[in-house]
Amino acid sequence: MTPIMQIRDLSVGYASRRAVGLAVTSVNLDVEKGEILGVVGESGCGKTTLAVALLGLIESPGVIQSGSVQLRLADDKLVDLVGLAPRPLRQIRWKEIAYIPQGSMSALNPVLRVRQQMTDTLVQHGLSKAEAIERARWALNLVSLDAAVLDKYPHELSGGMNQRVAIATAVTMQPAILVADEPTTALDVVTQRSILQELVKIRDQFGTTIIVISHDMGVMAQVVDRMAVMYAGRIAELGLVLNIFDAPLHPYTQKLIGSIPKDTGQHLEGLEGEAPSLWAYPPGCRFHPRCSLATAICREQTPELREIISGQYAACHHCD
Amino acid sequence: MDSFPLRQKRSSSQNLSALQARLQPYLPTAKYILKRIGIYFLTVLGAVTLAFIFFHLMPGDPLSIVFSQLEKTNLGRVTGGAEVAEAYKRLLGLDQPLPVQYLLFLRNVLIGGFDLGPSFVAFPTSTRDVIFRQLPWTIGYFTSAMLIAWLIGTTIGALLGWLRRIGLTSVAVGIATLLNITPVYIIAIAAIIFFGYHLHWLPTGQPYDPGLTPNWGDIEFIKNVLRHAIMPIASVVLVWGASFSLGMRSLMISVLGEDYLSYAKAKGLTPFMILRDYAFRNALLPQVTALGIALGNTINGVLILEAIFVVPGVGGLFVRAMAIHDFNVMQGVVLLSTVAVLTLSLIVDLLLPFLDPRIRRSND
Repeated sequence: MTPIMQIRDLSVGYASRRAVGLAVTSVNLDVEKGEILGVVGESGCGKTTLAVALLGLIESPGVIQSGSVQLRLADDKLVDLVGLAPRPLRQIRWKEIAYIPQGSMSALNPVLRVRQQMTDTLVQHGLSKAEAIERARWALNLVSLDAAVLDKYPHELSGGMNQRVAIATAVTMQPAILVADEPTTALDVVTQRSILQELVKIRDQFGTTIIVISHDMGVMAQVVDRMAVMYAGRIAELGLVLNIFDAPLHPYTQKLIGSIPKDTGQHLEGLEGEAPSLWAYPPGCRFHPRCSLATAICREQTPELREIISGQYAACHHCD
Repeated sequence: MDSFPLRQKRSSSQNLSALQARLQPYLPTAKYILKRIGIYFLTVLGAVTLAFIFFHLMPGDPLSIVFSQLEKTNLGRVTGGAEVAEAYKRLLGLDQPLPVQYLLFLRNVLIGGFDLGPSFVAFPTSTRDVIFRQLPWTIGYFTSAMLIAWLIGTTIGALLGWLRRIGLTSVAVGIATLLNITPVYIIAIAAIIFFGYHLHWLPTGQPYDPGLTPNWGDIEFIKNVLRHAIMPIASVVLVWGASFSLGMRSLMISVLGEDYLSYAKAKGLTPFMILRDYAFRNALLPQVTALGIALGNTINGVLILEAIFVVPGVGGLFVRAMAIHDFNVMQGVVLLSTVAVLTLSLIVDLLLPFLDPRIRRSND
């Protein structure tokens, strides 16, 4: 399979007066066509910054330090989203890569009707007004919403409905890639589940590649094919979600999975300490201060992400 | 056959519920509007009452002031003492008990169309006429200047906010801050010295050239008035425009940090569309409220500018009335400006639901 998106050595930081703190540090990642890839990690691990970088939305004080995000278009041409001029970037947005925002309640403009917010981008991409509305109706129908929603304002809809509107808006142009940033946060579990099912449905129906960003291992387990576990700006582990849940390689992943409540009633394992701030990463492996396996090499050398078992990668000195 | 009337009945009730369903979306708005108007009338009533109480509690007997006024205006000593006083008391309605006076006052003001009795300064001209003679000047100079200041300030402020990352805009922000803190009379005096005395471009004062007789049908006269109005209006526009632009800039910047803005960007909208439909549109809402209050306040006139440019207006009238204890005129000006602020806030309140759909629901 040829990856639809190749992320190479991507480093994204936030500039202060004196230094740049890297929220994402040399991330390499191939996104396969038609897969649902999960990016998981605790708050502040850089997953949202990664998503924002993939959308080409990094803005001052954010800065892309290095790397590239190659997107394969339908005609097999590669486009680097990093450093693309505003005009071609605008054309790629929504047509090739669309975005399902975190907390659609605040992502939708409170003073515009859903109709305008769903269709303005379509008209911008060259559809006629009537076509755009037809497309919006179709997309709403796809996520099981009534077309009457078009005449509503966001505050007149529930949180789940707003999230569905956001998903519908994202598929109006039938993009090749969807980036969903915490698509189910702030929703109750029942709504969460149905929203996730919409995502799976969209992938199954249109072969859309979906990147799901979440802190929730449960979300990962429910919808994702492959997942990348991020810790302190780096990818700690990458592999099929089933394999990772079965046999996590990285100590961090092990702890994460160990902290999921189970029905056996056994005592939950916690993860001591806090993730480091992007202004003060420890040297060597960034996880070593919290790791029970840490040795001298962990404090000095940064472990590379390498294939440990076929298809399962980890960045750890101790997981052979 | 006997089922026919039944069916008809049902269909009419269906029609009714269909009508209800169609009206349903407008109900919150209607409720909101009725509530605002109700509150408006209650507040106006309160303001009129306060004005009445306030001016009846003030020390000094209005009658003795009227008499001294009459003496000054060369009518000589008032003879007949008590009888004349009685006559004037009756004329002014001061012989009635206070509650009756209050009710009469309410009737005269609210139903009688702002009838506040005669002015003491210009006795027996009515207070209403005295004030309304000055009002067009005040509106012409200051209300229109405030409107211009708002339009220019809001536009510039929106652009300054939008381009906040461009270093050059901080120069403009600096200038606006400076103008904002400069007292308007300094600007006015500086303008008079520079454009009036140095360059001789513009007249330094007066509403129109002293030799002219007012004739609003004459285009030359109107041109003359406009030429004289440039400096007073420009002073207001500079100072208040700067203040409006700073306000709008910070509103824009706070809106630019909202999630819906980056979402709009992710959708691939052009910067112009984002500016128009997402940033400006949303930042405008509080700015409109600010305009309503500012416009209402201009009805007082900007006394200091009226004095500097020697132009007629309500502000000057108020000061003259104060100097000779002309209660009726003072009361009239206070009432007028209160009602103006209230009325303009009402207009803004009624406009807001059309700008911000959230208001239609949140206030029920």
